[in-house]
Amino acid sequence: MDILSHLTPMFFGLIAAGTLIGIIFGAIPGMTATMAVAVCLPLTYAFGLENGIALLLGLYVGGISGGMVPAVLINIPGTPSSITTTFDGYPMAKRGEGERALKIGIVASVFGGLFSAAVLFFFAPVLADFAIKFSYVEKFLIILLALTVIASLTTNMLMGIFSGVLGVWLSLIGTYSITEGGNGEPRLMFDFMQYYLIDGFSLLPVLIGIFGLTTVLLDAEKGFKDEAGQGRISLKGGAKFKFNVFKGQLLNLVRSSSIGTFVGILPGVGGSAASVLAYSQEKNFSRDSSMMGKGAPQGIVSSESSNNALTGGALVPLLSLGIPGDSTTAILIGAFTLQGVQVGPLFIGNNIDTWYLMIIALLAANVMMFGIMYFAIRHIAKVIEVPKYILYPLIIMMCVVGAYAINYGIMFDVWTLLLFGVFGWVAHKVGLETVPLIIGFILGKSAEVYFVKSIESYGNLSIFFTKSPIAMFLWVLIAVSLAFAIYLRVRNRRQPAVES
Amino acid sequence: MKAILSKTCLAVLATAAIGVSASAQAADDCPIPGNLRVVIGSTSTGGDTYQASSMVVDKLADQLDINAKVDAVGVMPGFQALERSRHGNTIMIFHDGAYLGNLYGVNGYPDIFNKFIVGPTVAINPGNAYLVPKSSPYQSMSDIIEAAGEGKKVKVAIQPGGVSEIGLTAMKNAVRMKYPGKESNLVAVNTGSQADKNQLLFDGAVDVINGSVQANEQYTQLPADDQKAMRFVWITAREKTIAETNEEGMGDTTREQLLQYVTPKASVPMGEDEDFTFDKEFFLMYNKDMDPAAIKCIDDALAEVYKDDEFKDQLKRSFFVPDYKPSEEAASYLEEKNDEYKTIISDLKG
Amino acid sequence: MESQWLSLLDVSIDFDQSHLFFPRIITWILVILLAVILVTRYRLMVPGLKRAGRVLIGREGEFDHKRFFGTLALTTAYFYLMSVLSDVFPNTGYSFLIMSVAFVFLLSLLYVDHLTRRLFVILVLNALIAPTLAWYVLAQLFRITLP
Repeated sequence: MDILSHLTPMFFGLIAAGTLIGIIFGAIPGMTATMAVAVCLPLTYAFGLENGIALLLGLYVGGISGGMVPAVLINIPGTPSSITTTFDGYPMAKRGEGERALKIGIVASVFGGLFSAAVLFFFAPVLADFAIKFSYVEKFLIILLALTVIASLTTNMLMGIFSGVLGVWLSLIGTYSITEGGNGEPRLMFDFMQYYLIDGFSLLPVLIGIFGLTTVLLDAEKGFKDEAGQGRISLKGGAKFKFNVFKGQLLNLVRSSSIGTFVGILPGVGGSAASVLAYSQEKNFSRDSSMMGKGAPQGIVSSESSNNALTGGALVPLLSLGIPGDSTTAILIGAFTLQGVQVGPLFIGNNIDTWYLMIIALLAANVMMFGIMYFAIRHIAKVIEVPKYILYPLIIMMCVVGAYAINYGIMFDVWTLLLFGVFGWVAHKVGLETVPLIIGFILGKSAEVYFVKSIESYGNLSIFFTKSPIAMFLWVLIAVSLAFAIYLRVRNRRQPAVES
Repeated sequence: MKAILSKTCLAVLATAAIGVSASAQAADDCPIPGNLRVVIGSTSTGGDTYQASSMVVDKLADQLDINAKVDAVGVMPGFQALERSRHGNTIMIFHDGAYLGNLYGVNGYPDIFNKFIVGPTVAINPGNAYLVPKSSPYQSMSDIIEAAGEGKKVKVAIQPGGVSEIGLTAMKNAVRMKYPGKESNLVAVNTGSQADKNQLLFDGAVDVINGSVQANEQYTQLPADDQKAMRFVWITAREKTIAETNEEGMGDTTREQLLQYVTPKASVPMGEDEDFTFDKEFFLMYNKDMDPAAIKCIDDALAEVYKDDEFKDQLKRSFFVPDYKPSEEAASYLEEKNDEYKTIISDLKG
Repeated sequence: MESQWLSLLDVSIDFDQSHLFFPRIITWILVILLAVILVTRYRLMVPGLKRAGRVLIGREGEFDHKRFFGTLALTTAYFYLMSVLSDVFPNTGYSFLIMSVAFVFLLSLLYVDHLTRRLFVILVLNALIAPTLAWYVLAQLFRITLP
């Protein structure tokens, strides 16, 4: 075996470089892991397959991990899958525990990453065979499950559900895309809008509009009065990071990592759904979830371990079926095709050296991510001390880059950013909830395709219940998840009443 | 304060302008901008369009000594960018889907032969294929045509309105010729990505799927008892196109084996003694107002590029067939191709 | 008997109309939810709207008009001019660079409270260096397409 000959300083150097660049991309609002991989894809020509893959996997792991930085420090998720990190990360940062929150996130990330790499290594072919048991019907039910968790993430259930449905509605604007198997006809808009909206609104501009630009607008409205002096968030004070914060979190870590890995394995179910599912399951099933949303470490643990677990999971269908598990691996597949390497069910057997090297690269990327972030975090956390009159203009600028570049140069995406920035501000004022809205938006299109295609194939609604044991099991999960959400709400409503 | 600002602005503008003029005219007598943007009709960077385009564009940029970048913007944004770019800063590369969308009446597809200038062809992807499960009763295309003629429903998974559908249209046409009125027994199951098509086959929801040699070859190597195992029944390319691929073929399937699934061995009749064929060809498109000198310049540069055997081998290694035709030849060739398919599609409708 | 019940759940979708099937369902759910919200919160809404109106025109509450509408105006101008200028310098990212320098500087100026000479120099430097760095790294090194 000449695998050792590939383990050169160059190989590890590229992983390190990839991880670092990935972290930076992930940490800048508007730039994402997907973009980092897309940007560096042409570079893999020069490096050859093994080294190119090393670079890209570093970027992937780094990019997903870096997303927690702005989520915690400025309440703007750096990458779609770190939305749930803002729930507890930002409240902690406001208490002066930004550094602690980030370190918790890093440890959880490395656990999730290594967990999923192990799953990938030991079970990839088996899991791929399991994944193909999920047809349109089962995939729709997974999405339905992810949508029902909206109920447990809202503060006001009625407004939350309305926001979620509105998110789905907004995602349907545009044409019923042919590349998804639709008929290419427009809906939910007037004819004159077709020129711009033919492909609908794309996710990233909507996301950074609602989180990034809206944050700027909300602060602009307040006039930055507190900025000059006392109001600035300090980095000192608050609890310090200690590893014993993970005591009693093992179950959470394993559960969230499993959810992340599994969502990654299922092609066509939005990768960002992983952290949402993991977060809400922690909220529903943990012994004490009363602090979640107010700065509880367990929230960061579940969010960050699940989104890093996505990495290994999404590689399962890529390497054992030739099908990408999420948007980033969809670009990763290009690295193989550009080098003329076929990915499909025989990939692992035919390219056993490459397979081992990828596992090594994935493990190394996670370890390096931990090394880089854990020791750099003290300095990164200082971003929070940068005055907003410097920070905010730069954030908007980078959001423009992100929006424009995500679809390789489309100006309408920049306007989308502004549109949804203002929309987010209005939504905030009238009491709409942005997180359910975004989740609805992320999942809406796939929900439509899988729902309509299920009915087209079977012609009867009962198929959703009777298709397979998996479908029935998913209904049980949906019911349990809803019941818990309602139970928790009733219990939480009673508790304050008793106390007062 | 304002003075400083305006001075800074001026300075920046001036530097920028110098930069532009310095790089604007790269080669002699070649009105090609120093920074060329090449949009493609696909949003995937893992697909064949991106792969072929980036190989060709890299070479072209070297030849012309300019910067060129491939942007995977997708069909509609691609057409829009092309329409706006009157000075030839943006050009487009796409395949037959560009006009097939219009023939199938898909919303938003213009008539490219009218709206744009159709430029040189650069490569063929010979891999467009149809597959069945390994355990399928259908051994060949004629089995499928006979079955439909005898009144059996045969479900075929395709992505509607383009390259993926044209083969099915041809199959229907073949059934119609032999068994008039029976063509509706071939049922299109409209779906999206290759993953979705494969999934439908695994589920047993369809009998045949559209796929490609590149994406599906490994599935054909699986043992028959594997749920995922598939078998080729038809590769739509012309025989001579497949003959130009490398002898090793793709993966574990040699060129010799691939030829078993190509006309005349696998026949989908189109006329008296003619078989239907379809080569998925990649070609360039320009804005209507593009400078003819620039078009000629790209033609000449590509002609040089395609003299390089090393480059042709590179294309072949990735299972593309080099296929350079200069602009005018390519345009009339593609228009003929367009007219041929137009007849089949409208015959089936009427 | 059972099959009769099941046939009640029969739905067939015409492919030509399939783009409307799911949006219709969602629109109906949305309308119903909206109606429920309006009915249950009717009493809260009228005073709320009145207050919002007064805040916006500046009669009431703390609302920094200059900075809020300034942000909106500057951002809109930034996007608009960037798209116009990008036709002048196509495929180079110069439009992004030039407009970002101006935008970052002006927005900082709008947000800052006590402008000192020293701070002014910092803002100018920031507006020059940050966009240039972003442009150089992204457009030149990584070759990302910028406006």
